[in-house]
Amino acid sequence: MKERYFSTFQLILLALFSALVVVAKIVLRMPLQLTGHSGIFWMAIIIVGAKVVPKPGAASVIGVTSGLLAGFLGLGDFGALNTFLSYTMVGVMSDIVLWLLGGDPEILFVSVLVGILGHMGKFVVKWSFGVIAGVPVGFIAFGLIKSVIGYIIFGAIGGFLGWLTLKALRKAGFFAYLAEKR
Amino acid sequence: MNQTKRIIIVVIILFVIIAVVLAVDFLQRQNAASQLPADMPPGSIPIYVNGKFTASFVSEDLNQLGLVSFVDDEEGKTQEGYLLRDVILLYIDGGSLDSDTSVKVSSSSREKVQTLTWEEIDQFNNMVLFDISGRGTLKLVSKIPGFDIRDAWVQDVDKIEITTP
Repeated sequence: MKERYFSTFQLILLALFSALVVVAKIVLRMPLQLTGHSGIFWMAIIIVGAKVVPKPGAASVIGVTSGLLAGFLGLGDFGALNTFLSYTMVGVMSDIVLWLLGGDPEILFVSVLVGILGHMGKFVVKWSFGVIAGVPVGFIAFGLIKSVIGYIIFGAIGGFLGWLTLKALRKAGFFAYLAEKR
Repeated sequence: MNQTKRIIIVVIILFVIIAVVLAVDFLQRQNAASQLPADMPPGSIPIYVNGKFTASFVSEDLNQLGLVSFVDDEEGKTQEGYLLRDVILLYIDGGSLDSDTSVKVSSSSREKVQTLTWEEIDQFNNMVLFDISGRGTLKLVSKIPGFDIRDAWVQDVDKIEITTP
């Protein structure tokens, strides 16, 4: 019998990370009036998920699943399709960057770059929707630049937090426990 | 391929994304500037009174307005921006507005319209304000029952029309 790409255990883990992304988006609030600050939480979660299930495509599965959940829960200001695609793109971009950089988010610069580009994936989807829909040019002339900077900074912080979490999990023996489970 | 090359490739991808976004935004602004009259800079919001163009709400005037905020009940997010009342009074004489004056705020790209009376807009507790979105466009939000949810709010506002009785 052909072996499945993700085991049932891994799929359960990925589903849990997807739910965590959505819960973090709903529950965790920061008093920051800056665009993209939620990336601090969800990039960290995606990076941890990509290490806990160390296979190409793991981040994409988290992105797609959390996108479906968020879309059905009515999250986001721009409709379910926008929400679904932006969450999905976070996962897909994270996977692409992880693949390009060798796939180990336990290396600091890898997790930070995954955080930045993964988060930028979400920005690109939201921005593209605006362009396609014919949204007027920004009232604030430098609004877009500020937005891009926000996404980069918060994506990088999210990547750093993900890396810190992985370090803590390694120290606590979580990966040894996981290896036994497999 | 060594790790340095991989990092360079990723950084190049990041810069390409940023460059494309900024280039498209620049072209959109150039395009808008060439199509609009001189007193309507790109991104500004035209204000019409009884069908006649009266003024353009421009970002340079924001420093004359006070920032206000509230936390919405739907998602518990902070909506922060500039009261529609203050924006209108910046360009229109308050004496010409009474409680029955209607103010229509619309977004052509979203095909959304919200019409409010001056009485509703003038009440501070209603928090009828423009929140600035991540893209730098204006979003009309409020705490008025029925107009306190995202579906009803007007994103990417591009016109304000005032009709006096």
